[in-house]
Amino acid sequence: MSIHFEKVDYIYSPNSVFEFQALEDVSLDINMGKITAIIGATGSGKTTLVQHLNGLLLPSKGFLTVNDFTIKADEKPKNIKELRKQVGLVFQFAEYQLFEETLIKDVSFGPKNFGVKEKEAEMIAARALVTVGIDPKDFVKSPLELSGGQKRRVAIAGILAMSPSILVLDEPTAGLDPQGAKSMMELFKMLNKEKGITILIVTHNMEHVLEYCDEVVVLEKGQVIMHTDKKQFFKNDKYMEKASIDPPIIIAFKKKCEEYGITFDSDILTIDNLVSEIVKKRGKR
Amino acid sequence: MNNITLGKYIPLNSFVHKLDPRTKIIAMMILLIAIFIPAGFVGYGIIGIFLLISLISSKLSFSFVWKSFKPSLFMLVFLLIINMFIIKTGDVWLTIGSFNLYSGAVIQTVYIVLRLLLMIVITTMLTATTKPLDLTMGLEDLLSPLAKLNVPTHDIAMMISLALRFIPTLLEEAQRILKAQASRGVDMESGSFKEKIQAILSLIVPLFVSSFQKADDLADAMEARGYVVGAKRVRYKKLKFTFFDFITLVSVSGLLVGLILLKVL
Repeated sequence: MSIHFEKVDYIYSPNSVFEFQALEDVSLDINMGKITAIIGATGSGKTTLVQHLNGLLLPSKGFLTVNDFTIKADEKPKNIKELRKQVGLVFQFAEYQLFEETLIKDVSFGPKNFGVKEKEAEMIAARALVTVGIDPKDFVKSPLELSGGQKRRVAIAGILAMSPSILVLDEPTAGLDPQGAKSMMELFKMLNKEKGITILIVTHNMEHVLEYCDEVVVLEKGQVIMHTDKKQFFKNDKYMEKASIDPPIIIAFKKKCEEYGITFDSDILTIDNLVSEIVKKRGKR
Repeated sequence: MNNITLGKYIPLNSFVHKLDPRTKIIAMMILLIAIFIPAGFVGYGIIGIFLLISLISSKLSFSFVWKSFKPSLFMLVFLLIINMFIIKTGDVWLTIGSFNLYSGAVIQTVYIVLRLLLMIVITTMLTATTKPLDLTMGLEDLLSPLAKLNVPTHDIAMMISLALRFIPTLLEEAQRILKAQASRGVDMESGSFKEKIQAILSLIVPLFVSSFQKADDLADAMEARGYVVGAKRVRYKKLKFTFFDFITLVSVSGLLVGLILLKVL
Protein backbone atom coordinates (compact mmCIF):
# COMPACT_ATOMS: atom_id res chain seq x y z
CA MET A 1 0.00 0.00 0.00
CA SER A 2 1.64 3.20 -1.10
CA ILE A 3 1.37 6.33 -3.17
CA HIS A 4 4.52 7.33 -4.95
CA PHE A 5 5.08 9.98 -7.63
CA GLU A 6 8.26 9.74 -9.67
CA LYS A 7 9.29 12.80 -11.69
CA VAL A 8 5.77 13.47 -12.93
CA ASP A 9 5.15 16.22 -15.48
CA TYR A 10 1.72 17.15 -16.74
CA ILE A 11 1.05 19.45 -19.68
CA TYR A 12 -2.43 20.59 -20.70
CA SER A 13 -3.15 20.90 -24.47
CA PRO A 14 0.41 20.20 -25.59
CA ASN A 15 1.58 21.79 -28.86
CA SER A 16 -1.13 24.43 -29.02
CA VAL A 17 -1.50 28.06 -28.02
CA PHE A 18 -3.25 26.86 -24.87
CA GLU A 19 -0.28 24.72 -23.81
CA PHE A 20 0.21 24.90 -20.07
CA GLN A 21 2.54 22.95 -17.83
CA ALA A 22 0.58 22.22 -14.66
CA LEU A 23 3.03 19.86 -12.97
CA GLU A 24 6.78 19.85 -13.20
CA ASP A 25 9.07 17.14 -11.94
CA VAL A 26 6.84 16.09 -9.05
CA SER A 27 8.34 13.38 -6.87
CA LEU A 28 6.37 12.59 -3.78
CA ASP A 29 5.69 9.82 -1.28
CA ILE A 30 2.42 10.02 0.60
CA ASN A 31 2.38 8.31 3.99
CA MET A 32 -0.41 5.82 4.29
CA GLY A 33 -2.92 6.00 7.10
CA LYS A 34 -2.43 9.74 7.51
CA ILE A 35 -4.36 12.83 6.58
CA THR A 36 -2.26 14.85 4.17
CA ALA A 37 -3.13 18.40 3.23
CA ILE A 38 -2.21 19.62 -0.25
CA ILE A 39 -1.92 23.38 -0.27
CA GLY A 40 -0.76 26.08 -2.64
CA ALA A 41 -2.00 29.17 -4.42
CA THR A 42 -4.72 28.96 -7.08
CA GLY A 43 -3.29 27.47 -10.25
CA SER A 44 -0.40 25.77 -8.49
CA GLY A 45 -1.47 22.34 -9.75
CA LYS A 46 -3.27 20.87 -6.74
CA THR A 47 -6.29 19.61 -8.65
CA THR A 48 -4.13 18.31 -11.50
CA LEU A 49 -2.00 16.42 -8.99
CA VAL A 50 -4.89 14.64 -7.32
CA GLN A 51 -6.56 13.72 -10.61
CA HIS A 52 -3.56 11.54 -11.36
CA LEU A 53 -4.29 9.37 -8.36
CA ASN A 54 -7.17 7.47 -9.95
CA GLY A 55 -5.97 7.68 -13.52
CA LEU A 56 -8.26 10.48 -14.71
CA LEU A 57 -5.14 12.20 -15.95
CA LEU A 58 -2.08 10.35 -17.13
CA PRO A 59 1.34 11.93 -16.61
CA SER A 60 2.93 13.55 -19.65
CA LYS A 61 6.25 12.33 -18.33
CA GLY A 62 7.28 10.17 -15.39
CA PHE A 63 4.99 7.75 -13.54
CA LEU A 64 3.26 7.15 -10.26
CA THR A 65 2.35 4.05 -8.33
CA VAL A 66 -0.79 3.76 -6.24
CA ASN A 67 -1.11 0.51 -4.29
CA ASP A 68 -0.43 -2.14 -6.96
CA PHE A 69 -1.16 0.11 -9.90
CA THR A 70 1.33 1.93 -12.08
CA ILE A 71 0.11 5.01 -13.91
CA LYS A 72 2.42 6.22 -16.62
CA ALA A 73 2.43 8.30 -19.78
CA ASP A 74 0.30 7.27 -22.78
CA GLU A 75 -0.96 4.04 -21.28
CA LYS A 76 -4.12 3.54 -19.29
CA PRO A 77 -3.42 1.28 -16.34
CA LYS A 78 -4.93 -2.17 -16.64
CA ASN A 79 -8.08 -2.64 -14.64
CA ILE A 80 -8.60 1.07 -14.14
CA LYS A 81 -12.01 0.37 -12.58
CA GLU A 82 -10.41 -1.43 -9.67
CA LEU A 83 -8.05 1.52 -9.21
CA ARG A 84 -10.99 3.92 -9.10
CA LYS A 85 -12.69 1.72 -6.54
CA GLN A 86 -9.63 1.84 -4.30
CA VAL A 87 -9.02 5.56 -4.74
CA GLY A 88 -12.19 7.53 -4.07
CA LEU A 89 -11.96 11.00 -5.58
CA VAL A 90 -14.39 13.68 -4.46
CA PHE A 91 -14.44 16.64 -6.81
CA GLN A 92 -14.68 20.30 -6.01
CA PHE A 93 -18.37 21.21 -5.73
CA ALA A 94 -19.18 17.52 -5.86
CA GLU A 95 -22.89 18.20 -5.41
CA TYR A 96 -23.17 18.85 -9.15
CA GLN A 97 -22.62 15.18 -9.94
CA LEU A 98 -25.88 14.00 -8.33
CA PHE A 99 -28.34 12.83 -10.96
CA GLU A 100 -30.67 10.13 -9.66
CA GLU A 101 -34.22 10.65 -8.45
CA THR A 102 -33.48 9.72 -4.86
CA LEU A 103 -30.47 9.96 -2.58
CA ILE A 104 -30.29 6.24 -1.98
CA LYS A 105 -30.34 5.50 -5.71
CA ASP A 106 -27.62 8.05 -6.35
CA VAL A 107 -25.31 6.75 -3.66
CA SER A 108 -25.80 3.13 -4.74
CA PHE A 109 -24.82 4.11 -8.30
CA GLY A 110 -21.10 3.77 -7.49
CA PRO A 111 -21.19 0.27 -5.98
CA LYS A 112 -23.52 -0.91 -8.76
CA ASN A 113 -20.95 0.22 -11.31
CA PHE A 114 -18.48 -2.04 -9.57
CA GLY A 115 -20.79 -5.02 -9.92
CA VAL A 116 -22.58 -5.05 -6.58
CA LYS A 117 -26.19 -6.32 -6.76
CA GLU A 118 -28.96 -3.75 -6.38
CA LYS A 119 -30.22 -4.85 -2.95
CA GLU A 120 -26.76 -5.01 -1.46
CA ALA A 121 -25.76 -1.73 -3.11
CA GLU A 122 -28.69 0.01 -1.42
CA MET A 123 -27.66 -1.38 1.93
CA ILE A 124 -24.12 -0.10 1.43
CA ALA A 125 -25.56 3.23 0.30
CA ALA A 126 -27.76 3.51 3.38
CA ARG A 127 -24.76 2.90 5.62
CA ALA A 128 -22.70 5.52 3.74
CA LEU A 129 -25.50 8.06 4.02
CA VAL A 130 -25.77 7.48 7.76
CA THR A 131 -22.01 7.87 8.08
CA VAL A 132 -22.10 11.32 6.50
CA GLY A 133 -25.02 12.29 8.73
CA ILE A 134 -28.05 12.16 6.47
CA ASP A 135 -31.35 11.41 8.21
CA PRO A 136 -32.74 8.01 7.03
CA LYS A 137 -36.14 9.52 6.37
CA ASP A 138 -34.53 11.74 3.72
CA PHE A 139 -33.16 8.76 1.77
CA VAL A 140 -36.04 8.82 -0.69
CA LYS A 141 -35.89 12.58 -1.26
CA SER A 142 -34.66 14.03 -4.52
CA PRO A 143 -31.17 15.55 -4.35
CA LEU A 144 -32.69 18.80 -5.60
CA GLU A 145 -34.64 19.18 -2.35
CA LEU A 146 -31.51 19.34 -0.22
CA SER A 147 -29.39 22.28 0.84
CA GLY A 148 -25.95 22.74 -0.73
CA GLY A 149 -24.13 21.35 2.29
CA GLN A 150 -26.35 18.28 2.45
CA LYS A 151 -25.90 17.65 -1.26
CA ARG A 152 -22.14 17.79 -0.74
CA ARG A 153 -22.50 15.14 1.98
CA VAL A 154 -24.54 12.92 -0.31
CA ALA A 155 -21.90 13.24 -3.01
CA ILE A 156 -19.23 12.23 -0.50
CA ALA A 157 -21.40 9.30 0.57
CA GLY A 158 -21.50 8.31 -3.10
CA ILE A 159 -17.72 7.92 -2.99
CA LEU A 160 -17.61 6.31 0.46
CA ALA A 161 -20.09 3.68 -0.73
CA MET A 162 -17.32 2.31 -2.96
CA SER A 163 -15.34 1.68 0.25
CA PRO A 164 -12.08 3.15 -1.00
CA SER A 165 -8.85 2.66 0.94
CA ILE A 166 -7.63 6.08 -0.19
CA LEU A 167 -9.94 9.07 -0.12
CA VAL A 168 -8.99 12.17 -2.09
CA LEU A 169 -10.97 15.36 -1.49
CA ASP A 170 -10.64 18.44 -3.66
CA GLU A 171 -11.61 21.44 -1.53
CA PRO A 172 -14.38 19.58 0.27
CA THR A 173 -15.38 22.53 2.43
CA ALA A 174 -15.39 25.27 -0.21
CA GLY A 175 -18.59 27.28 -0.01
CA LEU A 176 -19.84 25.67 3.22
CA ASP A 177 -20.65 27.63 6.36
CA PRO A 178 -18.02 27.36 9.14
CA GLN A 179 -20.16 24.97 11.16
CA GLY A 180 -20.83 22.72 8.17
CA ALA A 181 -17.15 22.81 7.21
CA LYS A 182 -16.13 21.85 10.71
CA SER A 183 -18.44 18.86 10.92
CA MET A 184 -17.25 17.82 7.44
CA MET A 185 -13.65 17.83 8.66
CA GLU A 186 -14.67 15.90 11.80
CA LEU A 187 -16.17 13.29 9.49
CA PHE A 188 -12.90 12.88 7.59
CA LYS A 189 -10.96 12.65 10.83
CA MET A 190 -13.34 9.93 12.00
CA LEU A 191 -13.00 8.00 8.74
CA ASN A 192 -9.25 8.21 9.07
CA LYS A 193 -9.17 7.11 12.72
CA GLU A 194 -11.81 4.39 12.65
CA LYS A 195 -11.46 2.89 9.21
CA GLY A 196 -7.78 3.66 8.64
CA ILE A 197 -8.52 5.37 5.32
CA THR A 198 -5.64 7.37 3.91
CA ILE A 199 -6.92 10.86 3.22
CA LEU A 200 -5.61 13.59 0.94
CA ILE A 201 -7.27 16.97 1.19
CA VAL A 202 -6.78 19.88 -1.15
CA THR A 203 -7.55 22.94 0.93
CA HIS A 204 -7.00 26.64 1.45
CA ASN A 205 -8.09 26.59 5.06
CA MET A 206 -5.07 26.65 7.37
CA GLU A 207 -7.19 26.25 10.48
CA HIS A 208 -8.32 22.91 9.11
CA VAL A 209 -4.77 21.93 8.27
CA LEU A 210 -3.68 22.78 11.78
CA GLU A 211 -6.54 21.04 13.48
CA TYR A 212 -7.13 17.92 11.40
CA CYS A 213 -4.18 17.09 9.14
CA ASP A 214 -0.99 15.19 9.87
CA GLU A 215 1.19 16.14 6.93
CA VAL A 216 1.43 19.03 4.52
CA VAL A 217 2.46 19.16 0.87
CA VAL A 218 3.05 22.64 -0.54
CA LEU A 219 2.78 23.19 -4.28
CA GLU A 220 4.03 26.23 -6.12
CA LYS A 221 3.80 26.67 -9.88
CA GLY A 222 3.42 22.93 -10.40
CA GLN A 223 6.35 21.96 -8.20
CA VAL A 224 6.39 20.41 -4.76
CA ILE A 225 8.36 22.89 -2.70
CA MET A 226 7.75 21.28 0.66
CA HIS A 227 6.52 18.03 2.13
CA THR A 228 6.68 17.76 5.88
CA ASP A 229 4.68 17.02 8.99
CA LYS A 230 2.31 19.58 10.41
CA LYS A 231 4.49 20.73 13.31
CA GLN A 232 7.47 21.38 11.08
CA PHE A 233 5.27 23.18 8.62
CA PHE A 234 3.87 25.64 11.12
CA LYS A 235 7.30 26.37 12.55
CA ASN A 236 8.32 27.68 9.19
CA ASP A 237 6.32 30.79 8.37
CA LYS A 238 8.62 31.56 5.46
CA TYR A 239 6.82 28.94 3.38
CA MET A 240 3.43 30.19 4.42
CA GLU A 241 4.30 33.62 3.13
CA LYS A 242 5.74 32.17 -0.06
CA ALA A 243 2.58 30.20 -0.83
CA SER A 244 0.49 33.30 0.05
CA ILE A 245 -1.13 31.55 2.99
CA ASP A 246 -2.61 33.31 5.98
CA PRO A 247 -1.37 31.55 9.11
CA PRO A 248 -3.97 30.08 11.48
CA ILE A 249 -5.07 32.47 14.19
CA ILE A 250 -3.14 30.67 16.93
CA ILE A 251 0.12 30.94 14.98
CA ALA A 252 -0.57 34.60 14.23
CA PHE A 253 -1.26 35.19 17.92
CA LYS A 254 1.99 33.55 18.97
CA LYS A 255 3.90 35.59 16.44
CA LYS A 256 2.36 38.80 17.70
CA CYS A 257 3.32 37.83 21.27
CA GLU A 258 6.89 37.27 20.13
CA GLU A 259 6.99 40.83 18.85
CA TYR A 260 6.34 41.89 22.43
CA GLY A 261 9.02 39.58 23.77
CA ILE A 262 6.81 36.72 24.96
CA THR A 263 7.89 33.47 23.36
CA PHE A 264 6.07 30.17 23.31
CA ASP A 265 7.25 26.70 22.52
CA SER A 266 6.69 25.96 18.84
CA ASP A 267 4.98 22.65 19.65
CA ILE A 268 1.97 24.50 21.04
CA LEU A 269 -0.66 24.23 18.37
CA THR A 270 -3.96 24.08 20.23
CA ILE A 271 -5.84 26.69 22.21
CA ASP A 272 -5.87 24.45 25.31
CA ASN A 273 -2.09 24.11 25.31
CA LEU A 274 -1.65 27.79 24.71
CA VAL A 275 -3.92 28.79 27.57
CA SER A 276 -2.24 26.47 30.06
CA GLU A 277 1.14 27.77 28.90
CA ILE A 278 0.02 31.36 29.46
CA VAL A 279 -1.26 30.43 32.94
CA LYS A 280 2.08 28.76 33.70
CA LYS A 281 4.01 31.83 32.56
CA ARG A 282 1.87 34.10 34.71
CA GLY A 283 2.47 31.89 37.72
CA LYS A 284 6.22 32.37 37.35
CA ARG A 285 6.00 36.14 37.55
CA MET B 1 -12.89 16.75 -25.27
CA ASN B 2 -10.06 19.24 -25.24
CA ASN B 3 -9.66 18.60 -28.92
CA ILE B 4 -12.96 20.21 -29.84
CA THR B 5 -12.09 23.17 -32.01
CA LEU B 6 -15.63 24.08 -33.02
CA GLY B 7 -16.17 27.80 -32.63
CA LYS B 8 -13.12 28.23 -30.45
CA TYR B 9 -11.47 31.64 -30.43
CA ILE B 10 -7.69 31.54 -30.75
CA PRO B 11 -6.11 34.68 -29.35
CA LEU B 12 -3.40 35.70 -31.78
CA ASN B 13 -2.24 38.99 -33.14
CA SER B 14 -2.72 39.00 -36.89
CA PHE B 15 -4.07 40.99 -39.79
CA VAL B 16 -7.26 38.90 -39.89
CA HIS B 17 -7.78 39.20 -36.13
CA LYS B 18 -7.74 42.96 -36.39
CA LEU B 19 -10.33 43.22 -39.15
CA ASP B 20 -13.75 44.60 -38.33
CA PRO B 21 -16.10 41.72 -37.45
CA ARG B 22 -18.63 43.06 -39.93
CA THR B 23 -16.04 42.78 -42.69
CA LYS B 24 -15.33 39.22 -41.71
CA ILE B 25 -18.98 38.22 -41.62
CA ILE B 26 -19.68 39.77 -45.03
CA ALA B 27 -16.49 38.30 -46.47
CA MET B 28 -17.50 34.90 -45.14
CA MET B 29 -20.90 35.12 -46.77
CA ILE B 30 -19.45 36.22 -50.11
CA LEU B 31 -16.93 33.40 -50.01
CA LEU B 32 -19.62 30.85 -49.14
CA ILE B 33 -21.59 32.02 -52.18
CA ALA B 34 -18.45 31.84 -54.29
CA ILE B 35 -17.98 28.20 -53.34
CA PHE B 36 -21.33 27.32 -54.83
CA ILE B 37 -20.56 28.85 -58.22
CA PRO B 38 -19.80 25.80 -60.35
CA ALA B 39 -16.59 27.10 -61.87
CA GLY B 40 -14.92 23.69 -61.89
CA PHE B 41 -11.58 22.78 -60.45
CA VAL B 42 -10.04 26.04 -61.64
CA GLY B 43 -12.56 27.98 -59.57
CA TYR B 44 -11.86 25.91 -56.46
CA GLY B 45 -8.15 26.31 -57.09
CA ILE B 46 -8.55 30.09 -57.09
CA ILE B 47 -10.64 30.08 -53.90
CA GLY B 48 -8.18 27.63 -52.36
CA ILE B 49 -5.19 29.88 -53.04
CA PHE B 50 -7.09 32.89 -51.73
CA LEU B 51 -7.96 31.05 -48.52
CA LEU B 52 -4.43 29.74 -48.15
CA ILE B 53 -3.12 33.29 -48.21
CA SER B 54 -5.72 34.45 -45.68
CA LEU B 55 -5.03 31.43 -43.49
CA ILE B 56 -1.32 32.22 -43.42
CA SER B 57 -2.02 35.88 -42.67
CA SER B 58 -4.30 34.84 -39.81
CA LYS B 59 -1.42 32.88 -38.21
CA LEU B 60 -3.70 29.91 -37.47
CA SER B 61 -1.97 26.55 -37.70
CA PHE B 62 -2.95 24.05 -40.36
CA SER B 63 -3.34 21.33 -37.76
CA PHE B 64 -6.02 23.45 -36.09
CA VAL B 65 -8.04 23.62 -39.29
CA TRP B 66 -7.45 19.93 -39.88
CA LYS B 67 -8.88 19.16 -36.44
CA SER B 68 -12.03 21.07 -37.33
CA PHE B 69 -12.28 19.12 -40.57
CA LYS B 70 -11.68 15.67 -39.13
CA PRO B 71 -15.15 15.07 -37.65
CA SER B 72 -16.72 15.40 -41.11
CA LEU B 73 -14.44 12.76 -42.67
CA PHE B 74 -16.84 9.98 -41.74
CA MET B 75 -19.69 11.74 -43.50
CA LEU B 76 -17.57 12.19 -46.61
CA VAL B 77 -16.73 8.50 -46.83
CA PHE B 78 -20.42 7.79 -46.47
CA LEU B 79 -21.19 10.23 -49.30
CA LEU B 80 -18.58 8.64 -51.53
CA ILE B 81 -20.19 5.25 -51.08
CA ILE B 82 -23.68 6.58 -51.84
CA ASN B 83 -22.42 8.50 -54.86
CA MET B 84 -20.70 5.37 -56.21
CA PHE B 85 -24.03 3.60 -56.39
CA ILE B 86 -26.27 6.45 -57.49
CA ILE B 87 -24.37 8.54 -60.02
CA LYS B 88 -24.08 6.88 -63.41
CA THR B 89 -22.66 9.60 -65.66
CA GLY B 90 -19.32 9.92 -67.38
CA ASP B 91 -16.97 7.12 -68.32
CA VAL B 92 -16.78 3.78 -66.62
CA TRP B 93 -13.50 3.72 -64.69
CA LEU B 94 -13.74 0.43 -62.91
CA THR B 95 -15.84 -2.70 -63.21
CA ILE B 96 -16.21 -5.23 -60.43
CA GLY B 97 -18.69 -7.95 -61.36
CA SER B 98 -21.94 -6.23 -62.24
CA PHE B 99 -20.88 -2.97 -60.53
CA ASN B 100 -19.55 -0.08 -62.59
CA LEU B 101 -17.73 2.88 -61.07
CA TYR B 102 -18.37 6.02 -63.12
CA SER B 103 -16.05 8.99 -63.34
CA GLY B 104 -19.03 11.23 -62.53
CA ALA B 105 -19.37 9.66 -59.09
CA VAL B 106 -15.74 10.23 -58.19
CA ILE B 107 -15.66 13.78 -59.54
CA GLN B 108 -18.90 14.66 -57.76
CA THR B 109 -17.50 13.37 -54.47
CA VAL B 110 -14.27 15.27 -54.91
CA TYR B 111 -16.34 18.41 -55.49
CA ILE B 112 -18.23 17.85 -52.27
CA VAL B 113 -15.04 17.21 -50.34
CA LEU B 114 -13.51 20.40 -51.71
CA ARG B 115 -16.60 22.45 -50.98
CA LEU B 116 -16.84 21.17 -47.45
CA LEU B 117 -13.16 21.69 -46.81
CA LEU B 118 -13.30 25.26 -48.09
CA MET B 119 -16.45 25.99 -46.08
CA ILE B 120 -14.88 24.70 -42.91
CA VAL B 121 -11.74 26.73 -43.50
CA ILE B 122 -13.85 29.87 -43.98
CA THR B 123 -16.09 29.41 -40.95
CA THR B 124 -13.23 28.27 -38.74
CA MET B 125 -11.29 31.34 -39.73
CA LEU B 126 -14.21 33.55 -38.78
CA THR B 127 -14.80 32.06 -35.35
CA ALA B 128 -11.15 31.50 -34.53
CA THR B 129 -10.10 35.06 -35.26
CA THR B 130 -13.12 36.91 -33.87
CA LYS B 131 -14.00 37.18 -30.21
CA PRO B 132 -17.56 35.93 -29.63
CA LEU B 133 -18.56 39.34 -28.33
CA ASP B 134 -17.17 41.12 -31.39
CA LEU B 135 -18.92 38.60 -33.57
CA THR B 136 -22.29 39.37 -32.03
CA MET B 137 -21.64 43.07 -32.15
CA GLY B 138 -20.92 42.77 -35.86
CA LEU B 139 -23.97 40.62 -36.36
CA GLU B 140 -26.20 43.04 -34.49
CA ASP B 141 -24.86 45.90 -36.55
CA LEU B 142 -25.48 44.07 -39.80
CA LEU B 143 -28.99 43.14 -38.71
CA SER B 144 -29.83 46.67 -37.55
CA PRO B 145 -31.81 47.61 -40.69
CA LEU B 146 -34.27 44.88 -39.66
CA ALA B 147 -34.90 46.68 -36.38
CA LYS B 148 -37.00 49.15 -38.37
CA LEU B 149 -39.32 46.25 -39.17
CA ASN B 150 -39.68 45.59 -35.43
CA VAL B 151 -37.39 42.59 -35.49
CA PRO B 152 -35.76 42.37 -32.02
CA THR B 153 -32.25 42.41 -33.43
CA HIS B 154 -30.62 43.23 -30.15
CA ASP B 155 -32.30 40.35 -28.36
CA ILE B 156 -31.33 37.97 -31.14
CA ALA B 157 -27.74 39.16 -31.00
CA MET B 158 -27.70 38.84 -27.21
CA MET B 159 -29.04 35.30 -27.40
CA ILE B 160 -26.43 34.33 -29.97
CA SER B 161 -23.65 35.83 -27.92
CA LEU B 162 -24.82 34.07 -24.77
CA ALA B 163 -25.06 30.78 -26.63
CA LEU B 164 -21.53 31.23 -27.99
CA ARG B 165 -20.29 32.34 -24.61
CA PHE B 166 -21.53 29.16 -22.97
CA ILE B 167 -20.16 26.61 -25.44
CA PRO B 168 -16.75 26.39 -23.72
CA THR B 169 -18.34 26.60 -20.26
CA LEU B 170 -20.66 23.71 -21.01
CA LEU B 171 -17.83 21.67 -22.49
CA GLU B 172 -15.77 22.28 -19.39
CA GLU B 173 -18.68 21.39 -17.17
CA ALA B 174 -19.38 18.22 -19.17
CA GLN B 175 -15.76 17.24 -18.85
CA ARG B 176 -15.80 17.81 -15.12
CA ILE B 177 -18.94 15.73 -14.64
CA LEU B 178 -17.55 13.00 -16.88
CA LYS B 179 -14.48 12.85 -14.68
CA ALA B 180 -16.54 12.85 -11.50
CA GLN B 181 -18.71 10.00 -12.77
CA ALA B 182 -15.68 8.12 -14.06
CA SER B 183 -14.42 8.31 -10.47
CA ARG B 184 -17.60 6.52 -9.49
CA GLY B 185 -16.86 3.70 -11.90
CA VAL B 186 -18.79 4.90 -14.95
CA ASP B 187 -17.28 3.48 -18.08
CA MET B 188 -18.36 5.40 -21.17
CA GLU B 189 -16.66 3.04 -23.59
CA SER B 190 -17.57 -0.50 -22.63
CA GLY B 191 -20.55 -2.06 -20.92
CA SER B 192 -23.98 -3.24 -22.02
CA PHE B 193 -26.55 -1.06 -23.75
CA LYS B 194 -28.40 -0.47 -20.49
CA GLU B 195 -25.21 0.53 -18.71
CA LYS B 196 -24.36 2.94 -21.49
CA ILE B 197 -27.76 4.62 -21.24
CA GLN B 198 -27.22 4.93 -17.50
CA ALA B 199 -23.75 6.38 -18.11
CA ILE B 200 -25.13 9.00 -20.50
CA LEU B 201 -27.90 9.87 -18.04
CA SER B 202 -25.32 10.38 -15.32
CA LEU B 203 -23.76 13.04 -17.55
CA ILE B 204 -26.84 14.70 -19.04
CA VAL B 205 -28.93 15.16 -15.89
CA PRO B 206 -26.29 17.04 -13.87
CA LEU B 207 -25.39 19.03 -16.98
CA PHE B 208 -28.99 20.15 -17.39
CA VAL B 209 -29.39 20.95 -13.72
CA SER B 210 -26.28 23.08 -13.64
CA SER B 211 -27.13 24.75 -16.96
CA PHE B 212 -30.48 25.91 -15.65
CA GLN B 213 -28.83 27.08 -12.48
CA LYS B 214 -26.23 28.99 -14.48
CA ALA B 215 -28.92 30.55 -16.65
CA ASP B 216 -30.77 31.69 -13.54
CA ASP B 217 -27.63 33.15 -12.01
CA LEU B 218 -26.75 34.88 -15.25
CA ALA B 219 -30.19 36.44 -15.56
CA ASP B 220 -29.92 37.73 -11.99
CA ALA B 221 -26.43 39.07 -12.60
CA MET B 222 -27.55 40.85 -15.75
CA GLU B 223 -30.53 42.43 -14.03
CA ALA B 224 -28.38 43.44 -11.09
CA ARG B 225 -26.24 45.37 -13.52
CA GLY B 226 -29.24 47.11 -14.97
CA TYR B 227 -29.97 45.04 -18.05
CA VAL B 228 -33.53 45.53 -19.21
CA VAL B 229 -34.96 43.47 -22.04
CA GLY B 230 -35.90 45.66 -24.95
CA ALA B 231 -34.36 48.81 -23.52
CA LYS B 232 -32.18 50.97 -25.70
CA ARG B 233 -28.50 50.39 -25.09
CA VAL B 234 -25.43 52.36 -25.99
CA ARG B 235 -22.08 50.84 -26.69
CA TYR B 236 -18.78 51.40 -25.03
CA LYS B 237 -16.83 49.92 -27.87
CA LYS B 238 -17.44 51.23 -31.37
CA LEU B 239 -16.72 49.19 -34.46
CA LYS B 240 -14.28 50.84 -36.84
CA PHE B 241 -14.24 50.29 -40.54
CA THR B 242 -10.67 50.83 -41.73
CA PHE B 243 -8.82 50.92 -45.01
CA PHE B 244 -7.81 47.27 -44.55
CA ASP B 245 -11.46 46.29 -44.24
CA PHE B 246 -12.13 48.07 -47.48
CA ILE B 247 -9.27 46.22 -49.21
CA THR B 248 -10.51 42.90 -47.85
CA LEU B 249 -14.06 43.43 -49.06
CA VAL B 250 -12.90 44.62 -52.47
CA SER B 251 -10.68 41.60 -52.96
CA VAL B 252 -13.35 39.16 -51.80
CA SER B 253 -15.96 40.77 -54.08
CA GLY B 254 -13.41 40.74 -56.89
CA LEU B 255 -12.99 37.03 -56.33
CA LEU B 256 -16.74 36.46 -56.57
CA VAL B 257 -17.10 38.54 -59.74
CA GLY B 258 -14.06 36.81 -61.25
CA LEU B 259 -15.56 33.40 -60.61
CA ILE B 260 -18.90 34.39 -62.12
CA LEU B 261 -17.13 35.70 -65.22
CA LEU B 262 -15.08 32.52 -65.40
CA LYS B 263 -18.31 30.51 -65.38
CA VAL B 264 -20.17 32.69 -67.87
CA LEU B 265 -17.36 33.13 -70.39
